[in-house]
Amino acid sequence: MTVGTHSGRRHDVPPTGTAGPGRAGPRGRRFDLLPYALVTPLALFILALALVPAGVTIVQSFFRVDELDPPTRFNGLANFRDLFADGAIRSSLVNTGLYVVIGVLLSTVLGIVMAVTLQRPFRGRSILIAVLILPWALPGVVEGLVWTGIWDANIGLLNSVLTSTHLISHYQVFLGQHRFLTILAIELVQVWQMTPLSTLLILASLQNIPSELYEAAVLDGCTPWQALRRITLPLARPGIAIAMVQAVIATLNVFDQPYVLNGSADTGASLTMQTYFISFQNLDFGEGYALSLLITVATLILSLGVVKLVYRQVEF
Amino acid sequence: MTAFRYSRTVYLAGALVLVGAVATGCGGGKSGSGGSDKTTGVTITVALATEPPPQASIDAFTKSTGITVKWTNTDWDSLQTKIAAAATAKTYFADATDVDWSRVGQLGKLNWFYPMENYLDTKALAAEMPQLTSFSSNGHVVGIPYDASFLVTTVNKKLFTKAGISTMPTTIDEYTADLKQIKSKNVAQYPLNIPFAAAEGLSTYWYQTTAAFGGTILDGSGKPQFATPDSPGYRAAQWMVDAIKQGLVPPGNINVADSQGQQTLMAKGVVASTFADYSGNVGSLYSVPASSTVVDQVAYLSTPGVGGAGPNMSNPDGIGIPRQAKYPAAAAKFIDWFTNAQNQADFAGASGPDKVMPGYFLPSRLAGMTELTEKGKLIGGQQLADLLKNSAKPVFPQGAPSWYPEFSKSVYTSLHAAATGSMSVDDAIKAMAGTANKLSS
Amino acid sequence: MPRRRPWVRTLGILFIVLWSLVPLYWTLNTSLQTDAQISAKPAHYLPPSPTLSNYHALLSGAGEIPDTIRRSSINIVVECTAATIVTVVLATLAAYAFARMRFRGRNLLFYAVLATMAFPAYTTLIPLYRIMSLFGLVNTYTGIVLVYVSGFLPLATWILHSYMTSLPIAIEEAGQVDGASRMQILWRIVLPLAWPGIVSTAIITFLFAWAQFLFPLVLSSDLSTQPLTVAIAALQGRHTVPFGLLNAAGVLALAVPAVIAVALNRFIVNGLLSGSVK
Repeated sequence: MTVGTHSGRRHDVPPTGTAGPGRAGPRGRRFDLLPYALVTPLALFILALALVPAGVTIVQSFFRVDELDPPTRFNGLANFRDLFADGAIRSSLVNTGLYVVIGVLLSTVLGIVMAVTLQRPFRGRSILIAVLILPWALPGVVEGLVWTGIWDANIGLLNSVLTSTHLISHYQVFLGQHRFLTILAIELVQVWQMTPLSTLLILASLQNIPSELYEAAVLDGCTPWQALRRITLPLARPGIAIAMVQAVIATLNVFDQPYVLNGSADTGASLTMQTYFISFQNLDFGEGYALSLLITVATLILSLGVVKLVYRQVEF
Repeated sequence: MTAFRYSRTVYLAGALVLVGAVATGCGGGKSGSGGSDKTTGVTITVALATEPPPQASIDAFTKSTGITVKWTNTDWDSLQTKIAAAATAKTYFADATDVDWSRVGQLGKLNWFYPMENYLDTKALAAEMPQLTSFSSNGHVVGIPYDASFLVTTVNKKLFTKAGISTMPTTIDEYTADLKQIKSKNVAQYPLNIPFAAAEGLSTYWYQTTAAFGGTILDGSGKPQFATPDSPGYRAAQWMVDAIKQGLVPPGNINVADSQGQQTLMAKGVVASTFADYSGNVGSLYSVPASSTVVDQVAYLSTPGVGGAGPNMSNPDGIGIPRQAKYPAAAAKFIDWFTNAQNQADFAGASGPDKVMPGYFLPSRLAGMTELTEKGKLIGGQQLADLLKNSAKPVFPQGAPSWYPEFSKSVYTSLHAAATGSMSVDDAIKAMAGTANKLSS
Repeated sequence: MPRRRPWVRTLGILFIVLWSLVPLYWTLNTSLQTDAQISAKPAHYLPPSPTLSNYHALLSGAGEIPDTIRRSSINIVVECTAATIVTVVLATLAAYAFARMRFRGRNLLFYAVLATMAFPAYTTLIPLYRIMSLFGLVNTYTGIVLVYVSGFLPLATWILHSYMTSLPIAIEEAGQVDGASRMQILWRIVLPLAWPGIVSTAIITFLFAWAQFLFPLVLSSDLSTQPLTVAIAALQGRHTVPFGLLNAAGVLALAVPAVIAVALNRFIVNGLLSGSVK
């Protein structure tokens, strides 16, 4: 899933398995300690602080781990059954579904628009790229604060602009009143953060499109619109696919934005927020683990689905 | 197939580490062993959701006891997360910390805090602190209330008078009629503050409104008492939702939390009344020129009930000693000092502004309250003292149930949904009652 | 290629600029106003009488809020810097081994490392907290840095691995012929060639660390380790802090990543594209 941006030969070791200096050679038969020494710190970190916690989550999602109902004991699929019986979870499932659909669509479409804008060199393009990646670089919590100033019902920028231009007669409540509007407003904040990366990924694909294709298109009398549809979009597929995958992962796990902008109200609560509530408010860790596991599985399945659907290895 | 063998070893090693981690993570059932009884020359951490008392007062404590105090001020929600996270992982994070009245049942059942009767004479304290009963669970005192916060109606008298209301309402019907009059006379476009954000403050508001309608939330076994349309809890919910639907409450309040509404609406004279306000707000917020534009205009009101004055729900803040405390005995000494009558009176302003603890409500000790009112230092003091003595009642007479947090979340998310119109009041009540029934069975 | 009408691109450029900058401008604008000015309807699109009083109150004032902001600013710098250094060093060593050496279990380990990126971070919060408390690392710089490093190592390794495999191998082979050891090759040949990739990795790691919220929220219990992001969220949660002051604090937390993003955007773009996942 890499996008090549560097010139030169690529020696992708995994998965292709070529190797450079240090391989075999005259000393090939002896046990080579150096690579193990180099990867051991990494391996320890990943094992102790990523794989073990992940393993705990998987194993304990089949246990009753409830501080209010000790001791910890095996209870099969009961945590999962409880999850599906919970109205708040079902409502968050719908919310999260909306976040994913809105987020993936908007960030992809905006990413394409922005990438096409940046496709050809022009004066000031590098400054524009610097401006473009700004929202990506900022902490999510502070972005929540930033957008509070825009959506706010009493002092928000949007209300002020809409009333000044007489599009609305008096200040409106954007967050928390209507479910769909709330979710749209929250997700727009996340889209604001994700789109820079989507744009860059799509842009990288666009850079790989040989300009001869466009020259040929001009000779054939193609309009810019036709060139976009017949050349740009099909050939940008790898970039679009990766952009969509990162959007799927981010939106399925959205937490900071709804938490900061809308609190724990059902109108905007996401599934990851529910894992937090179940674990730290209800202290029912087993059920929290189970929900985390489901979100992970959904993330993997959806990501693979997107790749299958969109990704095409493009050869020139 | 060496690669295969190798990978199997890795899996095996991984599995072993994993089992070890699970065993260590969950096997440690020990509670409260590592604490030291030292009470001099130690430094204790106190974590509360409030600003500290004046440094001079803390220094005096250090001088007389040899205990240095490190104060950590964390917002309430984060603090609850930290208490849960630390206790679950059996780690130290503070020697004394918040025991909210609503968490007493949960914390008591979890045995996360040392019983306070081991350190203080809680029997003698009970006579002095009416609210101590709200802090007992399974026969143990989980924490000591350090203030006597309760819910009380506040009104902006200037706005009421401006709308031609000369006698203050004594029943909920009169109160509602007065609010409508304020709106129709255009004195305030939205006269009533209800914090409809899905947060703890909304649940609290509903408990107080339910009490005003003459009812309770749960019975002794945790069964809901608000499920039928003629029950006080149902009518209270209907009244609150009607208030926002009829334009008595600012529409933006759908996303306004309790203290936020008090500060941006009540203290700025935007609204004329908060039905379930916090005791002490008139003195510590509405009469402070730096934070208020309505100085001397806001007063307390006896709860407008069904047929006259209704009860006031108490929501005191408590302080306890977590099992993982490093110096529980020193923490107990601090709590004893922090909650003594003289200090409480000082924190509330009995000895001048130098000794005031910012945001402090009211002394939890009757003696502290008496001293405060006798010195005439408390705005509305006599009235508050009377309310505290005669009408303040716990929300849950049998103590908050251990599953309170989950119930409260159901209450505030459902009422919030009803206020937005995405759910009918009837469905909201059904969801809340369903949660209580499920959890109490 | 077919010429688009110039106004189409101008429109696109305008959109990018407005999209990125308007929300940030608004925060800055709010932070330069008094609370009375902020609540004006319609809002002031320019600060009517620009004032630095909010910043002054935050940075040089006495009291609990300025203390919190100052201390948590130090914390966030210490934690992000330490996490970045450790991550980059470890990732460089491992990426070199993955890119240029053959050893048993290499693919397994490599994919295991990458697989952790697909796992939602919040999933591991509770077990991670338990492990940290087991070793007495809750509320310490070490604990927070270790968690950050474990979180960012996979992406850092991935970026550096992509970068190193893209380097021409011939120079390294020449070095080997000259009898240099592999560590000498890493030090004298690979590192100088790979430094843009290393810088990219460092910047991206630093920005990720700066953006953390939930992990430090749980892992730090007081001001001795709390980073700025957690401090700001706590101020916002209290509802008692004036909005102008809150926005000034927000601008402080945005300033460092914003300056980095603008000044070093080339490295970020390259790093992200070789990593291709966030």
